[in-house]
Parts: sequence; C-alpha cells; structure tokens
Amino acid sequence: MEHKKSVISGEVVANREVTKNHFLMSLTVPDNFQVALPGQFIMVRMKDMGSPFLARPFSIYSTYSFENNTILEILYRVVGKGTLKFSHLKRDDKLDILGPLGNGFDVPPGCKKIALVAGGIGVAPLSSLAEYYRKRSTDSVEDRKVICYIGARTSEWLVGIEKLEEVCSRVIISTDDGSEGHHGYVTDLFIKDINSYRRDGSMVYSCGPYAMMKRMAGILEDCPIPCQVSIEERMACGVGACLGCAVRVKSQEGHSRYMRVCTDGPVFNIEEIIWD
Amino acid sequence: MKNNNLPTMKVRIGDIELKNPIMTASGTFGYGEEYSPYVDLNRLGALIVKGLSLEPKEGNPPPRIIETTAGMLNAVGLENVGVKSFIKEKLPFLRQFDVPVIVNVFGETVEEYVKVAGTLSDVEGIAGLEINISCPNVVKGGIEFGANPDLAGEVTRSVKSVTHLPVIVKLTPNVTDITEIAKSVEEAGADAISLINTLKGMSVDIEKRVPHLENITGGLSGPGIKPVALRMVWEVTREVSIPVIGVGGIMNAQDALEFLIVGAKAVQIGTANFVNPRATIDILEGIEQYMRENGISDINDLIGTIIAE
Repeated sequence: MEHKKSVISGEVVANREVTKNHFLMSLTVPDNFQVALPGQFIMVRMKDMGSPFLARPFSIYSTYSFENNTILEILYRVVGKGTLKFSHLKRDDKLDILGPLGNGFDVPPGCKKIALVAGGIGVAPLSSLAEYYRKRSTDSVEDRKVICYIGARTSEWLVGIEKLEEVCSRVIISTDDGSEGHHGYVTDLFIKDINSYRRDGSMVYSCGPYAMMKRMAGILEDCPIPCQVSIEERMACGVGACLGCAVRVKSQEGHSRYMRVCTDGPVFNIEEIIWD
Repeated sequence: MKNNNLPTMKVRIGDIELKNPIMTASGTFGYGEEYSPYVDLNRLGALIVKGLSLEPKEGNPPPRIIETTAGMLNAVGLENVGVKSFIKEKLPFLRQFDVPVIVNVFGETVEEYVKVAGTLSDVEGIAGLEINISCPNVVKGGIEFGANPDLAGEVTRSVKSVTHLPVIVKLTPNVTDITEIAKSVEEAGADAISLINTLKGMSVDIEKRVPHLENITGGLSGPGIKPVALRMVWEVTREVSIPVIGVGGIMNAQDALEFLIVGAKAVQIGTANFVNPRATIDILEGIEQYMRENGISDINDLIGTIIAE
C-alpha cells in the first residue's frame, strides 16, 4: 500500500519567552521536515482532545539538524487561549503536528536584491526565507543583498532581530511609538529605499498585520516591483477541506473569487489579493 | 487478537453496499482529493463530497470559522464549484477508487434540487445522492426546507421522481420535532436519512463587541453536539423503517459505536477529519478492534442492539 501522510508527534526541546508575550518553541520532528520551504506552515495541536479543540497554524521559523535530530522552530505571540496553552509547554511535552503545508515563497533565478518587510510576529516566515537563501545561494555575498525592514508596535514586540542580523545584509528597525529605531511605520522605511529596487532582479516579501500589507499593496501599485505576501487566516484543517481560510483574490475580467490560504497560499502575489 | 479473523463490516444503505459503515460527512472532506494524501480512499465505506448547487457558489466573506468549547462554528456558506465543474474536474479523480461516491445536493428552490439531481443521475461513478434540506427556500420567504415537514417531503418526492439513484435526506436538528420531518421524507420515498446537520449558533468577540463570524451566525459541529445527534438518531430510528445514518461530533470509535448501538446503519465522520486527517481510518480500526474483543463477527449483529426499554 502506498505511504500515507499523517499527524506526527513533536517533542518540545525548548519553549522560551524571547520578549514580552512572544515565544520561541523548538520541537523534534521527523527528518522530512528538513525539506520544508520558507513560507510553509504546520498545524499544531495539544495531544488531549480538550481545549483548544482545533489545531493552530504556525509559519515554520527554522529547521536544522542537531545531535541526529531534526529541530523545527516556531516563533509565536500569545493572542488567545490556544497560544496561551502552548506558551506553558515544557521540555519533553508532546504536540501533534501536521505538515509541512502550503506553498513557500518563490525566489526567481537571477534575483540579486531582496527586501523583506516584516511587521511584528510576521517576521517568522521572512527570517526563514533569508536563512534559506543565505544557506543555498551560490553567489558571493557582494552579489546579493537581503535587506530587512522590520517594524512593531513598540520595542518589546520586536522579535527575531538577532537572527535577522546574522542572515540579512542589513536590518532596519521601526516602532510605532518610537521606542526603538525609526518612529513610524515600517512601510515608511521601505518607501525611502524604494528606488534602489528594480522591476527585474529584485523581489519584495512581506508578512505582518493586514493594515501593513495593505499599505505595501498601495505602495507597490505605483512602483511594480514583484512582491509576495504570506497571509494569515483562521483555519480548521490546513489541507483545503474546511474552506474556513478564505481570501478574496482577483479573477478574470474584473471579477473576484475566494481562494484558500492553506493550500492556494499562504504565499500570494501581492497584486492578486483584494485588500478591503 | 488475530488479524486474519476480521469481522464482517458490510452494511447496506438502500441499494448502496458499503464495505464498512464509515462515511465522510459532506463539507468536511472536500471532493476527496484533499484527503487522499492522508487516507486510502478505498478503505472508506462511502465518500460524501461537498454539497453542490447548480451554479458555482463563492460562499460567505471571512471570518468563516471560530472555535467554540468542544467544537467549532462555521459559516462557509456552501461554497462549491457547481455541479458541472464537479463532474468535469472532480469526479474523474474519484472514479479511480473502489468507493461509493455520494453527492450532497442543495438548492434554493425545488427546481434547483431537481436540476442538480437530474444532472448527476446519468453520470458514471455516482452511487447515490444526499439531499441537504437545511437551505432556506427563497420562493417560500426563506423558510428552511428541512424545518417544515411538507416542504421536506416535497423536495424528497421531486428529487426521487428524476433519479434512479438512492436518495438520502440529511435532516437539520434546528426543529421542534425531528421525527415529524423524518416520517415525512420517508413517506415521500427517501431511501435513507442522515442526521444531524449542524446546530445554529453564535459567538461574540467581547473586546470589539462584534460577532466572531462575518455572517453573524454559523453551524455548530464537533464533539459538543454528539449527545444531541445521538438522541435524535435514537428518536428517528424508532419512528422510521428506512436506514438512518448517524452524524454529529463523532471523534473516535467509541462515539461511532454509540450511534451504531442506538440503531444507525452507518456513521459519517465530519469535524474529526479537520483535527485528525486519518480519523476515518482510526475509527474504522477502533470499531473492528471492539468487535474482535467482544466476539462480534458481523457489524449488523451490533446495530440497534441498545437495551433501553
């Protein structure tokens, strides 16, 4: 009989609060997770049948080998009862994991300059992309540039900066309240540099709050540098069946339709999405 | 226990012979292909696909789902590819498998039900129809077909008149007396009844003071509704002589066994698929294990054996 995929059991190696309400969880997973592409996600669920009932989707932040194990990391913010329960997990606790799921980011061949525009916890898939690109790229460091623009509400909500500094050529920070870096939106920082990106040979990747990605869509409308976004929506199954994670996209002749964030995404071209 | 001593799991729903009593509930298993990386579809008793309407339906704006205590609310809004695209694009995939495909059908008018059912009747690879009567009838001012015994009977009779396929009618629990509806569809010629569909519910975001769902209300499913479903299956099996299929919050083999013991000929697995893509197979294997442990060689010897008088 052909081999079927199933939910696997992941064991918590570490689960620490990196900044207020933001956690980094490391899990041991089967080796096939090493082939996960940046932008893909997993569905994570507590072992017992109680609360929370449904699995929660998380972007894969990082995967690597350590002492003959494959480690998968997720970076998350406590936003509800599901993430609150996850934040209490300790070493050796087990979780049900389904994945890797969805489509990752595309990096077109010949792309020499990458901008990452991250808002808050939206840094997770973008950091993963920068790390992946750094590991795989055969170009010399001078030939390619990955610039990360990262913003958050306040300095306490800035996460993953250290890692970004390792894997990006430059990291530029903003906070809405001015507590760190530029005082204002991360999109302001990107606009300042926009003329250094070209339609050919540059790519922009963005993930963050809806309002931020909507601003990005507006900015790029006038200056069409290709951009991919990673979308978040509530979902029950992660495999395209529940139709909970609908996102409105453009279709032919000015019409629109819903696509599924889980299997049609979570990565979309920014101009496909209808931002309302 | 010896594995070579497998119990007989075959059951009949009208003219449909099922290898085992495990079916997938409409709307929770896509068009089958979504779960084929996880489940050997040949092992299922039957596969019920996402409800189809005459024309494609785009569904409701998000948010469409919200978790509740022991379940979830959904207001997907019957999003589907429409009956023509289903036949052209989805059915060829399903024809590769040795599993009865049952197509769930809905409409906003009796004519729409009839057209969809008629279109599907002459197509190769369909074993039966399941009629979702939980839709509002636009002609009769939005009253749900399934909430009125006469309307439920009318839809059933009309669909039966245009198809030779077995017709299963799926009942809504949002009624005062479900046995009245059940008797009406039986009289109208239904070959089987499945119950229950979701319970109408609501959930509110107390920070923003808005409903969690854009549609305001949604259908409740998951383990929280199982006792209600079980009670309704119990009531209906005592009032009708056609097969009853139990559905509602079945998460594991124990849950499924409760429905079978109460009198359901088969069960449908719904929300459990979302939580565990292999739920159908795990439940099937759990039932087989229970039968071996209890010396039951044929599933039909278990069905309806509840001692409750």
